[in-house]
Amino acid sequence: MTSLAAMQRESRPALAPQVRFRNDPVSGEPVLLYPEGVLVLNATAADIVKRCDGKISINQLVAQMSHEYETDETTLAADVVECLADLSKRTLLVFLP
Amino acid sequence: MNNAAPKIPRPYALLAELTYRCPLHCPYCSNPAQYPKGDELSTAEWTRVFQEAARLGALHIGLSGGEPLSREDLPELVRAATEAELYTNLITSAVGLNEKRAKELAEAGLNSVQISFQAHEPLLGDEIAGATVHQRKLQAAKIAVETGLALSINAVLHRSNLGFLEQIIDLAGSLGATRLELANVQYYGWALLNRDKLLPTREQVETAMRVAQAAKERYAGRMDIVYVLPDYFQDRPKPCMQGWGQRYMTVNPMGQMLPCPNAFSIPGLRFENVRERSLGEIWSESESFNRFRGFDWMPMPCRECPQREIDFGGCRCQAALLTGDAAATDPVCSLSPHRGVVDEILQNEATRTIDQPWVPRHYHARAVAVS
Repeated sequence: MTSLAAMQRESRPALAPQVRFRNDPVSGEPVLLYPEGVLVLNATAADIVKRCDGKISINQLVAQMSHEYETDETTLAADVVECLADLSKRTLLVFLP
Repeated sequence: MNNAAPKIPRPYALLAELTYRCPLHCPYCSNPAQYPKGDELSTAEWTRVFQEAARLGALHIGLSGGEPLSREDLPELVRAATEAELYTNLITSAVGLNEKRAKELAEAGLNSVQISFQAHEPLLGDEIAGATVHQRKLQAAKIAVETGLALSINAVLHRSNLGFLEQIIDLAGSLGATRLELANVQYYGWALLNRDKLLPTREQVETAMRVAQAAKERYAGRMDIVYVLPDYFQDRPKPCMQGWGQRYMTVNPMGQMLPCPNAFSIPGLRFENVRERSLGEIWSESESFNRFRGFDWMPMPCRECPQREIDFGGCRCQAALLTGDAAATDPVCSLSPHRGVVDEILQNEATRTIDQPWVPRHYHARAVAVS
């Protein structure tokens, strides 16, 4: 997982084409929708996902969030990479070069 | 208000069977073997159904059939579902998906297209489909991807194609699918009529399981592989529909609303029509949706079994078909007093008459008129 992350730090994460991000109108929770599936996101994951627009790199995403959350980049990077790796494993995320 | 009534959950998904018309004749078709009579819902009626489903809390809609591309108004229906903010998945044989239609569907907001494949190559594929369609499906899958539609592949697995599982998986991978659903046949309707010919051997089932598991790892991150187990070979039942009336609702072409697409298998259950009542009323108040909701209907051993929270007693249709009692424990369960029925079906592996012809699915749309 770490080597995957190291390789892709300059890549730009984006939601896979079959994935939609929205709020569940019943629970109010942020969810990812994909064929026959619903993934409920926690607040941090949702904040990461909404930045996965295919335009900014993982490094830029971490810098952005660390600025807003006033958190140390190294700690935050570990959380972001873990979240992205999990979504990628579920085929919900792609990494643009 | 009846205080003893089970708590009504919110639905997550609507399966909209837009039509029973289909150019294919798959011997395991999930449509009922005896079709209800009546006219197909109109564009305006479906639009209302989609809006009501979304208001109830549905997030997903499966646009299915028959063959949904047989509906001329399909792009309008996709647009209506998109405007209701539903996640739209077109469940199709892809026969009729040309460049023009794919573009219209993409513009209407279609999120995903799921194309069925009967086999990895045309000879077997066309035999199973009962029509010359395999090459057209390959072409259509390519068109879908080129149009920017997200592609899923579905393959129904049985005795004739299980041995080619690896090739089927690699076909889906080479077509650019992001999801592959490998569904071992479940025996209802048409599949039940063809069971002797469809039922695999235990050896096939065990090999296929290993092939699927290895492929899951090989394709991780590229293609999500979902493997639906052949339930006759398991000793615990499937969590059918995640519980009756808990998450899913089906509306058939004539407007009848069902807790599951196979619910016609259950004798004596009356299904209400969305032409006469709202989806909300049918979902929460109808006898059919409440019949097996929750746990109170359960017999022993389900009633006191810790598994009931996991498998919900299995499948009501299967119980009805194999034991004659829809409220019995799913006979797949080794704790069911009727497990012997399933074992007997599996036992005559060597003598199953696989040389007999298929009973092909057919539908004569004599009375169909779309207003």
